[in-house]
Amino acid sequence: MKLRKVALIVILILAVVLVATALGSVHIPLRDVLGILASRIPGLRGLVNADWSQAREVIVLRVRLPRVLLALVIGGGLSVSGVLFQGSLRNPLADPYIIGVSSGASLGATAGLLFFIPQGLVGFGSLPLFAFAGAMLATWIVSRLGRQRGRLEPTTLILAGVAVSAVLTAMVSLLMVLRIQNLQDVYVWLMGSLSGRGWQHLAVATPYVVVGVVLALWLAKDLNVYLLGEEAAHSLGIDVQRLQRLVLIIGSLVAAACVAVSGVIGFVGLMVPHALRLLVGAEHRRLIFHSLWVGGIFLLVADTLARTVLSPTELPVGIITACVGGPFFIYLMKRGSGYHGR
Amino acid sequence: MVDKMRLAGVTYSYASGKPVLESLDLRLQPSLFYGVVGPNGAGKSTLLKLLDAYLKPQEGTVFLNERPLDSYSLPYLAREIAMIPQHSHYFPFTVQEMVLLGRTPFYTRLGRPSEADVEIAKEAMEVTGTGHLASRLVSDLSGGERQRVTLARAFAQRTEVLLLDEPTTHLDLEYQISTCRMLKNRTEEGVTIIAVLHDLNLVASFCDYVFVLDKGNLVTEGCPTNVFTPDLIEDVFHVAVPRLNHPVTGRPVIVP
Repeated sequence: MKLRKVALIVILILAVVLVATALGSVHIPLRDVLGILASRIPGLRGLVNADWSQAREVIVLRVRLPRVLLALVIGGGLSVSGVLFQGSLRNPLADPYIIGVSSGASLGATAGLLFFIPQGLVGFGSLPLFAFAGAMLATWIVSRLGRQRGRLEPTTLILAGVAVSAVLTAMVSLLMVLRIQNLQDVYVWLMGSLSGRGWQHLAVATPYVVVGVVLALWLAKDLNVYLLGEEAAHSLGIDVQRLQRLVLIIGSLVAAACVAVSGVIGFVGLMVPHALRLLVGAEHRRLIFHSLWVGGIFLLVADTLARTVLSPTELPVGIITACVGGPFFIYLMKRGSGYHGR
Repeated sequence: MVDKMRLAGVTYSYASGKPVLESLDLRLQPSLFYGVVGPNGAGKSTLLKLLDAYLKPQEGTVFLNERPLDSYSLPYLAREIAMIPQHSHYFPFTVQEMVLLGRTPFYTRLGRPSEADVEIAKEAMEVTGTGHLASRLVSDLSGGERQRVTLARAFAQRTEVLLLDEPTTHLDLEYQISTCRMLKNRTEEGVTIIAVLHDLNLVASFCDYVFVLDKGNLVTEGCPTNVFTPDLIEDVFHVAVPRLNHPVTGRPVIVP
């Protein structure tokens, strides 16, 4: 990776962050955004003239900036998690939700929203914990079912994921039928949105994503070899069972942390790694690095559109990711050369 | 001569049912090209997986250099034994990237292939006639080209033992012959080669030694010229063949 390329990517990310922070139902000039941000950086404070209104500062620092950064983190996290699942299951159609992360999280969050939060047993802020617990429980069940003779079997695992997800999704619907108060909250959560998310959400998701990405890079070389198939990977010195387990755990933790704060945002984790594999190849170090920043920017742009196109009404970001991502994905698929791992 | 590898009383069975291989004893010496033949279900692939430590025998021991296989670490074994399984997966790696994967046991987790690794990979591509494909994507190649790239990857591993499960299956006649020649050349550099082959004529022409497996047992072993008698072929493969010999090499020719 050339230094110049990395610098260009960093500049691109900063530019998108600034523009996304400026855009919204209340437009804030870029100059003010820059000023407000600079005033928070110790060395630069003296250089800016604080002539913006208090309201603008609150919007930038309390509302927009955390949401913009969260979009970057969630987009990057879901994409890297997608790389891990597609790699460890050697299936290009695997996504971060394949082993029940999303349906488990949905059940956890729905149970929380319908039974615990309205009773005042716990606060609304604990919703991510419910989602996270549900996600991990579903993941555990599916990965137990995905074994045959003590070995993780990718096809069995995927089928188990589909079956368990179906059951859990049915249970979510059942809960919603039985309890009709608070349904609005449940719907919004299920559709996936970054609306109203703040610094505390960023603090919940970021550590998982950072640790996940570092571990993913640590395992990248093994994942490359693993693409050759289990027997070939074994003969190249890889402990295949251990690798599969590790990668599933890391991928699930990252996905669960993302889903817990943002709800189920589809398509990013499936599409970004898949598209990038067509563009930069299957080598995992490259793939993980590019998935991280492209996934982040993709979700940030989608979320910015979601809160501006019909402003002041907000669209769930999942609508945008699917509408923009789908056609682009088809274009790549038609253009791309022999991806399918035959 | 010291055995390169040895199986002593090895029995293996999958989860249910009777053993795929039963108290098998065999010895493999350095610098020889071994063929493994037998009807479907004889246990040929299982034998290779046991030699590669991919499967662990329920009874008996597999030795490498007179030490049990499970006393070595996997990364160490990867520098001693290379394996080309029956089925491979092809992802959009370039040919050079794929061949360089054969060097992964020789550098660290976060490291990159050294100049020397790249040289070795290049040489492996030259030997297998895939040098001109270096920057092509493996997923775009023909079946025969992929097979040769896979062979180059295993050569790049520079191991003393090379296991191959039906390496000639997708190849046309020319490449079947040239693959066997390449393998033969490796044995002259001290490599021990064990290949499962279905084509008895390839075994008769190229292998120094052959193991005949049937229903999990070693039926016979030895030089193909002595082993491939019409009686044996009839017993094991249930096909009647006349006794024929190649007019030039004198090796057996097996045709119905």
